[in-house]
Amino acid sequence: MKARFALTLVLNFTAVPAFADIGKQVGLDWPQIIAFATHKTNYSGTFVYQYNGHMESARITHISDQSGEHEKLESMDGPRRAFIRNNDKVWWYSGDKKAVQVERRYNSKSFPALQPELLSALNENYLIYTAEQVRISGFDTQAIVFQPKDTLRYTHKMWAHMDSGLLLKAAVLNERKEIVEQYTFIQLNIGGEIERTHMMPGQSTASSEQQSNFATPSEISEQAATSEWKVAAVPVGFKKIMEKRRPLHGKNTDVIHFVFSDGLAGISVFIETSGNNVEKRLGLSSRGAIHVYSKIKDDYLVTVVGEIPPRSVIQIADSVRHNGQ
Amino acid sequence: MKQKISALMDGELFDDDAETILDKLKQNPDMQEEWRSYHLIGDVLRQSDNVHANISIAIHKRLQAEPTVLSPHKRDSHNARWLALSAAASVMALTLVAWLSMQVGSETVPQLAMRQSQNVQPANLPAHGLDDYLMAHQEFSPGLDVHGMTAYVHTVASQQEDQ
Repeated sequence: MKARFALTLVLNFTAVPAFADIGKQVGLDWPQIIAFATHKTNYSGTFVYQYNGHMESARITHISDQSGEHEKLESMDGPRRAFIRNNDKVWWYSGDKKAVQVERRYNSKSFPALQPELLSALNENYLIYTAEQVRISGFDTQAIVFQPKDTLRYTHKMWAHMDSGLLLKAAVLNERKEIVEQYTFIQLNIGGEIERTHMMPGQSTASSEQQSNFATPSEISEQAATSEWKVAAVPVGFKKIMEKRRPLHGKNTDVIHFVFSDGLAGISVFIETSGNNVEKRLGLSSRGAIHVYSKIKDDYLVTVVGEIPPRSVIQIADSVRHNGQ
Repeated sequence: MKQKISALMDGELFDDDAETILDKLKQNPDMQEEWRSYHLIGDVLRQSDNVHANISIAIHKRLQAEPTVLSPHKRDSHNARWLALSAAASVMALTLVAWLSMQVGSETVPQLAMRQSQNVQPANLPAHGLDDYLMAHQEFSPGLDVHGMTAYVHTVASQQEDQ
């Protein structure tokens, strides 16, 4: 067994320079083009999402006009679940339950341009290169690979429409090149007249009583009362982009929410007072590339959520410290 | 015991445990039989082209039936030299591995530690309870910039796990 470890180690060591010669390395143009297309193009389409051995289809409609961005994402399988977004407001519909307003982040005005910090982080943590050109659902696409420079994060591969820059397919791969999750559009209309009738909440999608909001996202306080907590072992390359106390739907008390980003993957750390019935939620769980790990730290519940490998979320959760410890 | 054999097959055991089980396997023919049938089941489930049917017993019987040839051993004068050479090669290989591990130094130590924890199999997310965390996370994740609302599919897709 020891010999096998030594061998793995040798192989690892020799494999490192290998990625330098695959594909053509590209700058930050493609990420910019994709982000612009995602937020500034009109499109509607159906995609298949594959994760953890499951397969589901969902439908997305996106409209960008003078009044901003409007979009809707709904499940096509099983009971109806949908997100509807109107600029800064996001509503979550689940079955027959009441709509929930979800917090919208503030910097939406900066769209579609990616922020400089985000771009430099991308460049620091990933090797970005173009791969094959293939046809997906009738569209000619260019594959772009975001290869991490270490094993702390996943590889991301995206297939962007050559004309519009819209993503036709995206996959997340682990270090053994196995697909962790992927989505593929099986049908997509770009530009032109997009059916708008289903887009606005309050019309066909929700009756007025369903619109009662549980959360009050606009009242999230930016107070920095969170300095009493520290996340000691954030993986290399992740920078803190937010730290605040906020209400969370379904919680009586505010939670502390940290967000870290490496340009492509995000990590959230939630800290709250541990209530009853938390036991069944402790431990590791996953949905595709997103891993969640919860543990009790003193009288608090620490939950780490991120598009990163399981060992990274565990490592982060274990490193959360109360001040002075 | 059966669980442990199955865990051993999946490579989920730690070194110590694996060695214990392997020792037991060597001593216990019944367990060996189990080990074989587990592999057969695995092969059939994976619909692999080469199903490993148990022909070892048949081969064993054929070997028993083979006549024993009684003839004096041919003496090989090169034996001792080969042994010395291969010993020297082993020492060199070991030195190389040792040198490489020195070269890699502290960097790989956490990697090795991580490698061991890689086999942790996360459960699929329960549909309720964690959605709120997922939604709060998605809104701030940089994935939203690139993927747009498609990033929310993690929450939309959760329904099927209830069924």
